[in-house]
Amino acid sequence: MNLFGVMNISASALQAERARAEVVASNMANAETTRTAEGGPYKRQQVVFETADAEAEQSFASQLMGGANGGPVKIGVNGSRQSFLHRNLMMGNDLDDSAQGVAVAAVVNDNGAPQKRYDPSHPDAGPDGYVEYPDINPLTEMVDLMGAQRSYGLNASAVQAEKSMIGTAIDLGRSTS
Amino acid sequence: MLVSTAMTDALGKYLDLVSDEMKLTAGNVANIDTPGYRSLGIDFDAEFQQALAAGSGVLEAMAPFGEQGNGSIGSAKLKPKVKEVDGLTERPDGNNVSLDREGMQMADAQLKFKIGAAFLKRELAGISEAIHVDGK
Repeated sequence: MNLFGVMNISASALQAERARAEVVASNMANAETTRTAEGGPYKRQQVVFETADAEAEQSFASQLMGGANGGPVKIGVNGSRQSFLHRNLMMGNDLDDSAQGVAVAAVVNDNGAPQKRYDPSHPDAGPDGYVEYPDINPLTEMVDLMGAQRSYGLNASAVQAEKSMIGTAIDLGRSTS
Repeated sequence: MLVSTAMTDALGKYLDLVSDEMKLTAGNVANIDTPGYRSLGIDFDAEFQQALAAGSGVLEAMAPFGEQGNGSIGSAKLKPKVKEVDGLTERPDGNNVSLDREGMQMADAQLKFKIGAAFLKRELAGISEAIHVDGK
């Protein structure tokens, strides 16, 4: 079991929660945006999370074993030696299919009706004098931001816990040398 | 001659199991906002009993060294059974991760790891003393 693999899981969560906070920030920043590239007012965005294999791409072992052309790197000339090393480096595999990290599956647009405000002098006002603004509720956004912040903090403290465990394991070798 | 003792062997299994537990807790915490995710955990005591009953991993692992079979020490390790945690309240999005439980699990795993490491340190210090008993 590789303790650094545990950190990859927490790191994936930190990444995902930061993406969520970024989307909230973008929603707040564009609360009054009436023009977008697609036309019409800005649409509120929302992140969707999914479980993902945090170790599949990031782990050192898989990077090392990945090789330049995708095949395993050849270590030594003897095949059994190579597979022995391979197995040892991949020792953390036992729980890979059950313990998983998190990833942002998609950022979806909220297709709710825009808010209409009467302002005939506005350059984006329709023929009836109403301007379409994105329907963004600061309260919803702040609550979402708080959730992202709390989850980020929680995962950061998980990283601290893992760091202290790794530190303890390193101390183990120091005393006996 | 083996430098490791029954104690270091058992402690190694203990620490392995603790880091398995930590990994599952980290996964649960990471997926705290994932719709439909279920909390995962292991029965620590039962798994540890089973790992102890499986005997010394070192001797079996050393015999077929170099063969194509299960040559590494890592493969001698038992895989703990992962199961969904019962008795948690499910939220409307199908997720049942409990912050309180995971926080406790995290603290628990940390303390267990510290205890196991402290014991292992003493055991290894004892072996080291035996090695250097001739004063050199």
